[in-house]
Amino acid sequence: MSGRPPPARAPYVRRRYWNEPEMGWWERAYLFEILRGLVITGGVFLRNMGKWVTGRKGALTTYYPEETRPDYARHNRGKHVLTQRPDGRPQCVACNMCATVCPAKVIEIEAAFDPDDPAHHKYPSRFEIDYSRCVFCGLCVEACPEDAIRMEKEVPDLPSHDRLRMWLGREELLTWKPASDVAKPYGPKHG
Amino acid sequence: MPEIFIDGVAVAAKDGQTVMEAARDAGVYIPGFCWHPQLSVAGNCRLCMVEVEGETGGWMDIACNMPATRGMKVLTNSPRVRERRKVMLEMVLLNHPVDCGVCDKAGECMLQDYHYEHNGAPSVSTVPKVRATKFHDLSSRILLDNERCVLCSRCVRFTREVSRSHALGIVARGDHSLVRCDEKRSLDDDPYSDNVVDICPVGALLSRRFLYKSRVWYLQKTPSVCPGCERGCTIDLWHRKAEWRLNALDARHNTAIERVTPRENPAVNGPWICNKARDLPDLLERARAEGPMLKGRRVAMAEALAAARQLVEAARRPVALVSSWGSNEELAAAHAALAGRFRCHVKADHAPRPGERLADDLLIRPDKNPNGRRARELFGEAPPALEGADLVLAWGEGFDFADVPRGARTILLNAFLAPENGHADAFFATTLQTERAGHYTNFAGTVSAFTPICPAAPHTVDAEAVFAALAVRPRVSA
Repeated sequence: MSGRPPPARAPYVRRRYWNEPEMGWWERAYLFEILRGLVITGGVFLRNMGKWVTGRKGALTTYYPEETRPDYARHNRGKHVLTQRPDGRPQCVACNMCATVCPAKVIEIEAAFDPDDPAHHKYPSRFEIDYSRCVFCGLCVEACPEDAIRMEKEVPDLPSHDRLRMWLGREELLTWKPASDVAKPYGPKHG
Repeated sequence: MPEIFIDGVAVAAKDGQTVMEAARDAGVYIPGFCWHPQLSVAGNCRLCMVEVEGETGGWMDIACNMPATRGMKVLTNSPRVRERRKVMLEMVLLNHPVDCGVCDKAGECMLQDYHYEHNGAPSVSTVPKVRATKFHDLSSRILLDNERCVLCSRCVRFTREVSRSHALGIVARGDHSLVRCDEKRSLDDDPYSDNVVDICPVGALLSRRFLYKSRVWYLQKTPSVCPGCERGCTIDLWHRKAEWRLNALDARHNTAIERVTPRENPAVNGPWICNKARDLPDLLERARAEGPMLKGRRVAMAEALAAARQLVEAARRPVALVSSWGSNEELAAAHAALAGRFRCHVKADHAPRPGERLADDLLIRPDKNPNGRRARELFGEAPPALEGADLVLAWGEGFDFADVPRGARTILLNAFLAPENGHADAFFATTLQTERAGHYTNFAGTVSAFTPICPAAPHTVDAEAVFAALAVRPRVSA
């Protein structure tokens, strides 16, 4: 059995890619196709220009922040909200799971001790999110064991020339008090 | 020297060793809550159960209480052992609140680790969990959460065998068992009480100092030495990791010491430290001196150094009071630069505080300065005497301007803000132990190293640099 020849090596075949360009002589001639492209972009430009000079709106650009769009997708991940218990205090227990999982490390929580509430003795005295660095991935919402943080459809309206002013704190995040909620019933046991 | 077999590997056990100790020495980890290398064997958690192979099928027993005997064949991870561990953990978890999200021990909790490794299932209890006291005040420093307690009795044995305060015990039986303080004794009187927080295998005993301050995975530990007394216990300073730097919250947390734990060192302190070391942040995070001054007027460092050098050059009978808080390196620099020119005395920077325990047979030593021994080796035993001096260079705290002879000029080096800093003719703000590396020599001559945890405060200077700048050749007497 020792005299077995080594397996024959397959001849080299160049790998073909799905988007391999297939050009005819017309495209290879280059100049005509380039001119055709210029005609398309120039046409759009001139049409928009014509609309603008006659006082109508041209391109679909939204002029943020003066202009915002109402038509976010249903599952768009925007500004965070901290859910509240019926008495208005945050559901959050300051466990720092969201801050730990956050890939951009934008969540900072200061925990405090409340000896008068044995069921909820740890609470966030401060809860800060830096929207200049937030990537809106939604991992914080997934990581939360208490369903205390969710995301609105609308993005936070925080345009600024100063990064340090793009933080939102606890009070600005505590904007939603679910009276009844399909995802989680807020019964008396959360009081 | 009985030779035993642990998981089929021959191990030479020492005479009188238990299987648990022999396994640890051989690098085999056997889980367990109640067993602690420095405490007596309680054998109540039953988690270190191992299988001993025998001719009639073998038997199971707890490794922590089983003497190693010749030829014994122990299995630490057989299917039977793993099954038994799972059952034991099921029982521990029956009434455990599983509030790891708000528990300070999460991340370094033995129950958490064992549960991940051996059980992983939720409580099998079909009735509501037994509730117990939350946040019972054991002392002004320690809170007890009875729902998390696994009744391993490590804390009770610690107060009986190590700190000998006999302050803790277990009351009632079965489900109602609770760790409680002795009616006649107080855990507040135990200067080693905070060690029970470290040895608690779960999050039942909580330090008030550290309560909800930070999750432990945000912190890193840096080896250091406690300057609280001449024992020089080796400690770990826990401070925030650089990648978890805070931007919006209080920036002081980025450089602060969040907690202090013992760094095990059999040559100095074993695995224990006293409560004074736990309170080091109070000592080291006091208000700092702002920068170099000439008679209370803030000046640039170069100007202050030049002025101090002139004072030294002009002096005829200079005296230096050397700090017993200086590191070995600083003391060596002081000796090289000053000894020929100055009459040097060692100064005790800190006297015992009122009510502080002076000494005991465990750790606490009477001299409340970390490096007095090395300083006295270099500069002699003579007590500070300032008579006849026309220049006094005082280094460190605990210096009284009332002792300065009339007309004498003063150079003062201090890390902390104090009203007398402005009285000195030249003043330098020095760096702290947490801002530089160095060594302390303890009373028995053991040298321990400390490393910095944060950059030096602005306008501070290492004492070594000041001494180097003040090194003036001895005046040749005519």
